[in-house]
Amino acid sequence: MPTVKIDGIEVEVPAGTNMIEAARKVGIDIPHYCYHPHLSIAGNCRMCLVDVEAGGRGPDIACNMMARDGLAIRTDTPQVATMRRATMEFLLKNHPLDCPICDQSGECRLQDYYMEYGQYESRLSDPKVTKHKRVDIGDHLVLDAERCIACSRCVRFGDEITGTGELRLFNRTDHTEIGIFPGARIQHDYQGNLADICPVGAITNKDFRFTKRVWYLKETDAVCTECATGCNVRVCHQQGQVFRLLPRRNDAVNKSWMCDHGRQAFEAITGLDRLLRARVQGQPADLDDAVAAAATLLREAGGGVAVVLGHSASNEANWALLKLTRDNLPNATVYAVAGNDPGAWDRSDDFLMDADKNANSAGIAALMAHDPAIRDRSDLVQALADGDVDVMLVLGDDVLGRLGADGAGVRVIHVGSFRCTTSDAATVVLPAAHPYEQDATWTNRDRRVQRGRRAIHPAGDSEPAWALMERLGAALGKAPGATSAAAAFKSLASSVESFSGMTYQSLGNGGAVLASPPSPPTDDEDALETIHA
Amino acid sequence: MNLPVEQKRTFLERIYLVEIVKGLAITLRHALHNLFKQDFETFEYPDVRKEMPERYKGAHRLTTRPDGRVKCVACMCCAQVCPAKCITIEAGELDDDPIEKYPVEFQIDMLRCIYCGFCVEACPKDAIRMDTGIYEINAFTRQDMIHDKAYMTDLMAGKKPLAESFYRAHQDAAPPGYDLEEDRVLPVDEPRGL
Ligand code: SF4
Ligand code: SF4
Ligand code: SF4
Ligand code: SF4
Ligand code: FES
Repeated sequence: MPTVKIDGIEVEVPAGTNMIEAARKVGIDIPHYCYHPHLSIAGNCRMCLVDVEAGGRGPDIACNMMARDGLAIRTDTPQVATMRRATMEFLLKNHPLDCPICDQSGECRLQDYYMEYGQYESRLSDPKVTKHKRVDIGDHLVLDAERCIACSRCVRFGDEITGTGELRLFNRTDHTEIGIFPGARIQHDYQGNLADICPVGAITNKDFRFTKRVWYLKETDAVCTECATGCNVRVCHQQGQVFRLLPRRNDAVNKSWMCDHGRQAFEAITGLDRLLRARVQGQPADLDDAVAAAATLLREAGGGVAVVLGHSASNEANWALLKLTRDNLPNATVYAVAGNDPGAWDRSDDFLMDADKNANSAGIAALMAHDPAIRDRSDLVQALADGDVDVMLVLGDDVLGRLGADGAGVRVIHVGSFRCTTSDAATVVLPAAHPYEQDATWTNRDRRVQRGRRAIHPAGDSEPAWALMERLGAALGKAPGATSAAAAFKSLASSVESFSGMTYQSLGNGGAVLASPPSPPTDDEDALETIHA
Repeated sequence: MNLPVEQKRTFLERIYLVEIVKGLAITLRHALHNLFKQDFETFEYPDVRKEMPERYKGAHRLTTRPDGRVKCVACMCCAQVCPAKCITIEAGELDDDPIEKYPVEFQIDMLRCIYCGFCVEACPKDAIRMDTGIYEINAFTRQDMIHDKAYMTDLMAGKKPLAESFYRAHQDAAPPGYDLEEDRVLPVDEPRGL
């Protein structure tokens, strides 16, 4: 590994690391626009110019300067400041005074660096070059060509990440203008990322347009639970309301990206299908009464009790449900029903959007490896057909919808966040918190356990599913015994082999991969086929 | 810490009598003066109103563009700077206007406003001013103390504001580029009417 020197500080970095990343390692920020860690290097904004002290000729751009032994650069010389100031002057020469109406304002690199390297007095005597404004370039995007600094990040995103190549820089010099080919329109599923990577307000997000100034938003690290990929996200919220999601960098999962469906999924939190109140026999009820009613149903079941784990529910909730069943309902059978809910979104590809729309399928697989008594989809179909199920306790998933069953003769207890066939047929409904309303972990398709943090308070009467399991356990006689999500996870980690040694601290922001591969669920091929069809 | 030191009083002060007579003398002097000269500084409010100085910070108004729309672009600078956090703005988009953004609603809770004028200073569009000279800001309900967009725009359009724009009255003090018609400083080159 080569050792380089930045402002006199020596640092050892892997070969192939550029000087922007190397400087980041020692806490030095080199201003840059066109460089993005997950795109190729273009080297056209010139903002990252630094002085080369030894090991090369300078000044040179840091983004395209790869670490090699003996290389020493300086970012703190007066010459570097002059170069940055000059670059800023060029970038801002024709820039419109749009900050008051620009959604990027507050997180704009032009604004940030201007505070440090601004010229403050304009030396421009000619009229500014005007370009296209408010161009509709995609379902989720608005383009303002005047604000563009021609960094070509968006062009490279289209060429390298989505491979769709709609965007290009047209014309030359001052008249360089970003745009899409005539008649083209950006239609891929990753549009929001273009707004994210545009370092200025040239490409902005239509869905977020003018809804909130970014400086009012608080950010919470969470995980998207819309499919098995589990993209790392930041939930931007204010006063209990979520305004947007941004991808959070995790090189092992989603790099810096996320899909547009996941980005807008927070809208369901306040959607019409959200379950906010407990219900008993279709009537709104107190949470306590509903839990008591559920406990009575389970205790006094005439026939078999089926407990169905939730493929989209958290590890904590599933573990609490399993534990509660084993402790209180010795005669119950635990099932896991793979497959997607009917009506789930159906886009998928080989990049981020997985065909499996359950956030925690791998977590369920780990529980099934731990407890071989957990039955699968076909067993539940059989049991329902045989009339062996009197009471069914369902966590999150739309089990009846998945099986295409009507649930006649079965009394259902549904613990979930959203209305579905199962909740409609349910005798008791317990409202569960949305993933962004709770601390919990989900296991993604690569068996990475990832932690989401609570961004906002659970809406209505809803509570995290693990907490509802605690209530239900207490009503049945023996609660799983966790007082917090962390405790629930600790209990899981101490009991299930593949989770052993994990804690919320050790998961950190990047997550951790499950220990040993669980044996694949046996005869679940039907379900998998439905998913991957 | 500096505690107030008790004042030493002289003997004459301590018997009070002399001081009382002094006080009565002042009252008597004013009474006699007003009786014969009648040049006192008292206004027969509300029949007579004092002309407020140009820079008096009265009720806020929202200024308008020549086409009648508010100049405000809902940038939230005023709401951000307001120390009383009394400005609430809901932004929206104008489809037929190059200025794109406007306030769908703009409210100031006058019960919370401390009349610091920071909002006026922060505004990059000269869209909010406190130059109406209106100091009677009162109402029978709390709700009515919340001035909304329509009300604050009307202060300009309907009732004539008591004080004209400062630069309109003092054109010699106006900065270069000041346009009397639009009552604002125009940018050197203004491509889209921004
Ligand atoms: S891109 Fe940045 S500098 Fe340009 S108008 Fe938007 S916020 Fe202002
Ligand atoms: S639109 Fe944004 S990302 Fe694309 S070239 Fe311009 S500044 Fe860069
Ligand atoms: S005068 Fe001061 S307190 Fe009143 S609205 Fe303006 S900024 Fe807020
Ligand atoms: S600062 Fe001016 S333009 Fe911005 S929101 Fe307030 S009144 Fe409107
Ligand atoms: S970041 Fe190096 S030239 Fe743009």
